[in-house]
Amino acid sequence: MLLKIAWRNIWRSKLRSIVVISSIAIGVWSLVFLLSFSRGMILTYIDKAIENQTSHIQIHNPAFINADVDKNELERAAFNYLSDPEGIELELSNYDEIEAFAFRSYAHQTFLGVAGKTGVANVFGINPEQEKLVTNIHQQIIEGDYFESQKRNQILISRAQAEKYNIGLKKKVILSFTDQSGIPTKVAFRVCGIYDTKNQLLDQFNVFVRQKDLNRILNIPDQSHEVAILLKDVHQSDEVKAGIAAALPGQLVRVYDEISPEIELFNVQIELSTFIFTFIFMLGLIFGIINTMLMAVLERMRELGMLMAIGLNKVKVFQMITLETLLLGIVSAPIGMLIGYISVGYFQQVGLDLSHFSKGMQKFGLSEVVYPVSSADMYITFGVAVLLTAILGSIYPALKAIRLRPVEAIRKV
Amino acid sequence: MSIISVKNIHKTYNEKTVPVHALRGVDLEISEGEFTAIVGPSGSGKTTLLNIIGGLDRPTEGDIRLEQTELSTLNENQLIEFRKNNIGFIFQSYNLIPVLTSKENVEFVMLLQNRPKKEMETRAKELLHAVGLSDKLDQRPAQLSGGQQQRVAVARALASKPRFVLADEPTANLDSKSTADLLDIMAKLNQEEQITFVFSTHDNRVIERARRVVTMVDGKIESDETFNR
Repeated sequence: MLLKIAWRNIWRSKLRSIVVISSIAIGVWSLVFLLSFSRGMILTYIDKAIENQTSHIQIHNPAFINADVDKNELERAAFNYLSDPEGIELELSNYDEIEAFAFRSYAHQTFLGVAGKTGVANVFGINPEQEKLVTNIHQQIIEGDYFESQKRNQILISRAQAEKYNIGLKKKVILSFTDQSGIPTKVAFRVCGIYDTKNQLLDQFNVFVRQKDLNRILNIPDQSHEVAILLKDVHQSDEVKAGIAAALPGQLVRVYDEISPEIELFNVQIELSTFIFTFIFMLGLIFGIINTMLMAVLERMRELGMLMAIGLNKVKVFQMITLETLLLGIVSAPIGMLIGYISVGYFQQVGLDLSHFSKGMQKFGLSEVVYPVSSADMYITFGVAVLLTAILGSIYPALKAIRLRPVEAIRKV
Repeated sequence: MSIISVKNIHKTYNEKTVPVHALRGVDLEISEGEFTAIVGPSGSGKTTLLNIIGGLDRPTEGDIRLEQTELSTLNENQLIEFRKNNIGFIFQSYNLIPVLTSKENVEFVMLLQNRPKKEMETRAKELLHAVGLSDKLDQRPAQLSGGQQQRVAVARALASKPRFVLADEPTANLDSKSTADLLDIMAKLNQEEQITFVFSTHDNRVIERARRVVTMVDGKIESDETFNR
C-alpha cells in the first residue's frame, strides 16, 4: 500500500513530476551521450593508432627503448637492434592468435632536407609486403603508389610534409644519418607516394622507406629494431604478450597502451571524466530532488500529520517519502538511458561528422568522424548514481516529514 | 468502569514567552459506550483536551489514563502504536488520503495493524456499507461530497476496532442533511456496537443528540450534564 500511495502521490502534481522526470531523463541522456562520444573519440584514436602504426604488440631491444627517452643515447639507438630476429620469427609462428607481424628498422629524429628547407623525421624502414598485413598505410596513399617500383631509395611522405616542404611525387628528399662508426651520411630518396592518415601527430614526422635501403645506410644488414604484431583479437593482447615475453626473456615486449602512453592517459581520462560528470550531475540532481520533495512534503503536512495520528510510524513516513523519490528516479533514469541508447546506437551507425572542427582534431590524432561507444557499465553506473542521488535527496525532506508533530496538523483543522 | 480517566490536567502553551493556559485543571471520567460531546466557545480548550486524550499532545501537568494505560509513560513510538490500536480519529476536514479510494482509505489503518488482506477487504466493505457508501468503494475523496467523505472518515476511524473514537468538530463542514445522516450512523454504531464516541463541538445539532454534554469555559469544565436520549 505504501508503494501504491507513493506512486499515486507522484502523479498528484503531474506537471511538477513531469518536469522532474524530464530533467533527470535529459541529464542521464546527456551524460550517456557525452561520455559515449568521448569514449568513441578516444577509441577511434586508439584504433587508428593501432591500424596506422602501433599494432597490438611490439618487440624491441630494451636498450633501443631506453634511448627513445634519453637524448644522449639517441644517436646510438639505431644500433640497439633486436638480437635474434630469426628466433623471434620462429617464436611468433607458434601463435594462432597472431594475424600477422612485420619487422621494421627505425631511425629517430633524422634531418630531412628538401630544396633548402630542413626538418626532422622519424624514418621507418619497412618491408612493404609484410607491413601491408599489419598496418594500413598502403590504403592511405593519396598520390603515387606504395613502393610498387623496385628502385632503390624510394620514400613515402605524408601530405602534411608535402605541403610543409612544398614537394610532390618524384621529387628528391635528403635524409641525414649517422652510421655505426659515427660518420654522418646524407642520402637522397625519391618520393614514390604521399599518404594521409588524417593523424597530424603521426603524419608530421613519419616517413617510410624500404627496410633494406635503411639497413644498408645504417650498415646493419638483416637487422630490425622492432617487430609489430597484429592479433586476431585485441583482447588477447596481454595473454600473447605474456607468452612471448616468457619465451624471449632478453626482449622488451609491450602492448599498445604501453607503447603509446597517451592511450593509457586517455583511458584514465575516460574514467575520470565519467566520475567528474557523474558527480556534477548528481550534485545538480540532488538539489532538484530536495526542492521537489520538500515542496511535496510541505504541501502535505496536514495529511502527513493525520497519517501519523492514525498510526503511521516515523519509519514508515520516512520510507514513504524515500519511496516517492526513488520512484521518480526509477521512472526517469531508464527513459534517459533509453534515449541515450537509441541516440548512441544511431550515431554508432552513421557517425558524428565533425569535419567542421577536423583541423583541430587531426592535430591531436583524432578522427573527424566520431562513432560514440557506450557500454553496459556506463548504464549501470548512471542507474546506480540516479538511485543513490534520489535516496540522498530524499533524506532532508523525509526528516522534515518525520519531525512533524501530528497535533500541529490537527490544530490546523 | 471508566475507559478514559483525566485527572487535574493542565496545558500551557508558550511557557517561556507569553504563556497561554489552554487547560486549567480538568478532571473527567468517560465510561465505555458513552456518546459524549465536549462543548464550549472557541478557545475554551475542548480541542486541546481531545488532543491530550488522543495522545496527540502531552499535558503540562496531570495524569491521563486510557483503560489501564498511563499515557505519560509511553514514548513517541509507543504512543503511535497505542493510537493505532485503541483510538479512532475523525477530523473536521475529513483528512482522507486523497490518492486512495474509499475502500483503500478504510483498509489503510488495518494495513498498519498488519491484518490479513481478506479480513481488511471484508471489514472495509462492511464498514462502508454501514455508513451507506457501498456504491462508493472505488471513488477517491475528490469524487465524494463533504458528507460522504466524513462518512468514509467514520468508517476509517472504526476500521482498527478502536476502544473509542475521538471526533474533533466532525460536522463543522457539513450541511444539515449530511450532519443528520452522520449523527444517525454514529449513534447507531454507538448503541449497537457499544463504541465510545467523544466529540468536541459547538454545533447544536450534535449537542442535541449527545447523551452527555461537558461544557468547557476558559480551560475548565463548567458543567457536565447527562441526558436520557
